[in-house]
Amino acid sequence: MDELEPHSLGDEEFDDETHSFEFWFGAVEGYLSDRPYGHRPATVEEPLDKRERDRLITTLCNYCTGETAALEGASGLVRLAPNHNAKIFMATQVVDEARHLEVFLRRLADLGVSDPDAEIARRANPALLEFKAALLALVGNEDWSAAVFAQNVILETMEYTVFRAHADNADPVTAEVLRGVISDERRHLGFGETHIGRGLADGSADRSRLQEVRGDLEAMVLRVFEDALDDAGVPPDERPELGRDYLEAVDRLGMAL
Amino acid sequence: MTDAESSAPPNSRDSRRTYELEDLGFNEVPKKWRKFYRHWTGPGDELAPNEILCPVCKVVIRSGREFRPGDKVYCMPCMSRMVVVEGPGGRLEAEVVF
Amino acid sequence: MADFLSQYSIQRWLEMCPQGYLEDTVYGRGAEEHEPEELLGDEDLLESEISTTVQLVVGERCALAASSGLINAAPDFPSKRFLATQTLDEARHVEVFTQRLYDLGVKKGDLESTVDRYANPNLVKFAEVLLEKVDDGDFIAGVVGQNIVLEGMAFSVFEMMEAGNRDPNPKFAHTLTGTIADERRHVGFGENRIGALIREHPEKKPEIEKMQQEMTFYMLATFADAFADAPPPPPDPERAAAEWHGTDLATATPEEMEAVLANTVLGEFKTRLGRIGLEYQTPVGVG
Repeated sequence: MDELEPHSLGDEEFDDETHSFEFWFGAVEGYLSDRPYGHRPATVEEPLDKRERDRLITTLCNYCTGETAALEGASGLVRLAPNHNAKIFMATQVVDEARHLEVFLRRLADLGVSDPDAEIARRANPALLEFKAALLALVGNEDWSAAVFAQNVILETMEYTVFRAHADNADPVTAEVLRGVISDERRHLGFGETHIGRGLADGSADRSRLQEVRGDLEAMVLRVFEDALDDAGVPPDERPELGRDYLEAVDRLGMAL
Repeated sequence: MTDAESSAPPNSRDSRRTYELEDLGFNEVPKKWRKFYRHWTGPGDELAPNEILCPVCKVVIRSGREFRPGDKVYCMPCMSRMVVVEGPGGRLEAEVVF
Repeated sequence: MADFLSQYSIQRWLEMCPQGYLEDTVYGRGAEEHEPEELLGDEDLLESEISTTVQLVVGERCALAASSGLINAAPDFPSKRFLATQTLDEARHVEVFTQRLYDLGVKKGDLESTVDRYANPNLVKFAEVLLEKVDDGDFIAGVVGQNIVLEGMAFSVFEMMEAGNRDPNPKFAHTLTGTIADERRHVGFGENRIGALIREHPEKKPEIEKMQQEMTFYMLATFADAFADAPPPPPDPERAAAEWHGTDLATATPEEMEAVLANTVLGEFKTRLGRIGLEYQTPVGVG
């Protein structure tokens, strides 16, 4: 075992490696090659009844709203990022979020939705729209730490839980699409937690400000994703405790209430 | 237990067991790093002495030698830096270092 | 609008770039390629290359800030989606040119001080004019500034540098080939998307033309500074000719190189701006 292990890299070397375009490029190549629009062309569509189809459309419309918020949030954060690595990472997140939006829109089209904008406007959960406005206000105010906390910790951690639960209960095509998204989300939530954790440790992030953001936004996002699990038809006994992963994350950050 | 124990003698300094790692199909990092990670299958998934669960993204992190408390461990899929600690019941856990 | 934008999807971008011309590259070039020994061993030449590469980093950092900043101002999803791919392209360019600085011997800890030391003040002003429009959320002016003016300039600069480096420095020429392929999409998007928007908003023309005039002024001033500082090409009878727009870059003087670059970029500006319904404005001094 003389070969190079990731664990034998220096801290700076590890950050340089994982926050680079080269790393992103090698990572997505692994799980997106041969999966145009997020799934293998050979994956067979499972027939959905009218009610299942309608519920899936509502879920996907809300995912599209969440991903639009994430795309606009991440793009605004590129300029605010405090260093080179964070800027490049945020640029990879921008394209990840745009891809998520694209694959969910494509899935809506597969399900026969001809005017996705109208459908999304009709079905979007008002609490999610409220969250999007709040996130973009944080970005607009150039409040880097608060915006990263809102987007990469609160939103991404809860999305990660919901997408995993949904993937386990979804039709085969939707499940494949979701698994690709989940693989991206791992990077996003990890970046958020690591970045905020370091900011709290070195004093560049203001703990009381983040607690304030947490108070303003977490109930909103929790409500949205409870509704999403309802719409996705995840049976109650298979439902994860939605807030658990998120609460563990804030606990690791030393921000438990 | 997912990796063959190496036939090589344990490291003379700390007598740890060493392992030959194989790529177990985790494809979310560039090729050269893939064998250092695997998917976690849930609470029933028994971890080998050279494996530890990332508390942030729930991926199993692997090494060519068994883990011991105090070891530095990196999760590339979520970019978290951690240290190995002894948890309740003596089980090894990874604790995030900011 | 939607029809032409459908070719700019993330899926197509993935197939073209990471799974296409960038496959098997490392920092945009072959894994075994290195900077030539003659360059690394010549202090003056090395400093000149570091200075040139810093200008590329400065330009790409501006492009990264502008393309990401324009996503929120974009009026439709297909434009947001395209700009998302452009954001990552620009981040990649920042990364590969930064890596080139490291390959030329710049220490990681000295990166920012090296950029500050060599960044051309006129190029910094060029970037500020563009980023002011982006900050104002002015999508049309921002895209003209970014995808027509900045990218149009970058496209020609990269082409010229690629032609000039093909023989003496294949590693750098290969890095540039990938960035040129990216820039092609960016200028294409700029023309195709903005042409329609300019027709819808003719009242925006004077303000955008003024921005183009200012950016052109600072661009030409940057070229003048860059070539004034450039060492003349060392005599090398072995070196292959490097024809670019009628000039042999292997033997051209700095003045000749500046002239061919400025003429090519301005010619491109006039053609591209004309196609989207804007009239090229000759710079007359700023301030």
